[in-house]
Amino acid sequence: MTDQELIEGILRRDRKAFQYLVNNYQKQVIKTACYFVGNMEDAEDLSQEIFLDIIHSMDSFKKSSSLSTWIYRITVNKSLNMVKRHKRRGMMLRIESLFKTPDGRETGMTPEPHVSPADFEHKEKCELLQAAIGRLPENQRIAFVLNKFDDQTYKQIAEIMKIGLPAVESLIHRAKANMQKHLIIHFSEYQKK
Amino acid sequence: MDCSQFKSDLSAFREGTQPAEMHDLCEQHLSSCRACSRLVSEFDKVDMLIEQVKAAEPNPFAATRILQRLENEVDTPQKRYPVVWVRVLRPAAIAVALLCGILIGSYTAKNDAAPLNQVINTTGNIDFLRSNLFISEFADEDKILVINN
Repeated sequence: MTDQELIEGILRRDRKAFQYLVNNYQKQVIKTACYFVGNMEDAEDLSQEIFLDIIHSMDSFKKSSSLSTWIYRITVNKSLNMVKRHKRRGMMLRIESLFKTPDGRETGMTPEPHVSPADFEHKEKCELLQAAIGRLPENQRIAFVLNKFDDQTYKQIAEIMKIGLPAVESLIHRAKANMQKHLIIHFSEYQKK
Repeated sequence: MDCSQFKSDLSAFREGTQPAEMHDLCEQHLSSCRACSRLVSEFDKVDMLIEQVKAAEPNPFAATRILQRLENEVDTPQKRYPVVWVRVLRPAAIAVALLCGILIGSYTAKNDAAPLNQVINTTGNIDFLRSNLFISEFADEDKILVINN
């Protein structure tokens, strides 16, 4: 099925077209969403919203870029919106954490299961990486994640972000520098302990 | 080469984009500096973590769930409001409703203020309330007052 046939099928609400769309793009959508939101469960939930958005806004697809690029754009926008919602919710959770006991648990809650040092280090590294990416300005984050995690070329990123190639190069260069600065500070403090 | 020079060249060193001379200097520094070699190994771990994240695969049933949701949407389409309504008109409508509430509240409070004072302050009104509203507490309070006196 060509992109054109797929678009026409979706506009007709043809089930075969839906099936083709989901089978061909679900991996791309879920994985990209996961790199932004930070976990697979949220990414899978979000992917349903993304596909709904794709079929509902298919009539506004202008074909100035490829269908895949357009789907990437929707995925990135939806994922960033979810991250913003989570940040707001995180603020509420931080307020709630003020009411927790000094050992970090709420009264009456079951104790945390035992975590091995290797698991703990892995979890810590995941959180560190997520925090370092989360600290990047939005444009740098998009370019960095698409390049480093999604293996998109600078040209593809330029099309997804609707910016020029030199701008993408600059964004990725600055993102790497910022990430490195953040990680060096963290690792230096870690070594002092 | 000192640690700060090494850190500023770290990215190029790890990516192998340095001139050979500079790379050798970095290697020399690494062999003599424990802190910087530990830093490099931490960055290697982060790279490994990125590879692990990239290798993670979505749930095999995710596609079925997405398809189910799309088909449900086609069978029983939920009402989708235009973006202008969601982003602009809805908050504006809520703000107007709140403002109306505040205005009506303050207007009625003004009108009710004078009669309320009269009700509280005049014994005639208390008698009126006693006889018409059948509030038993009034009678009880009177009894208590008599006992206290």
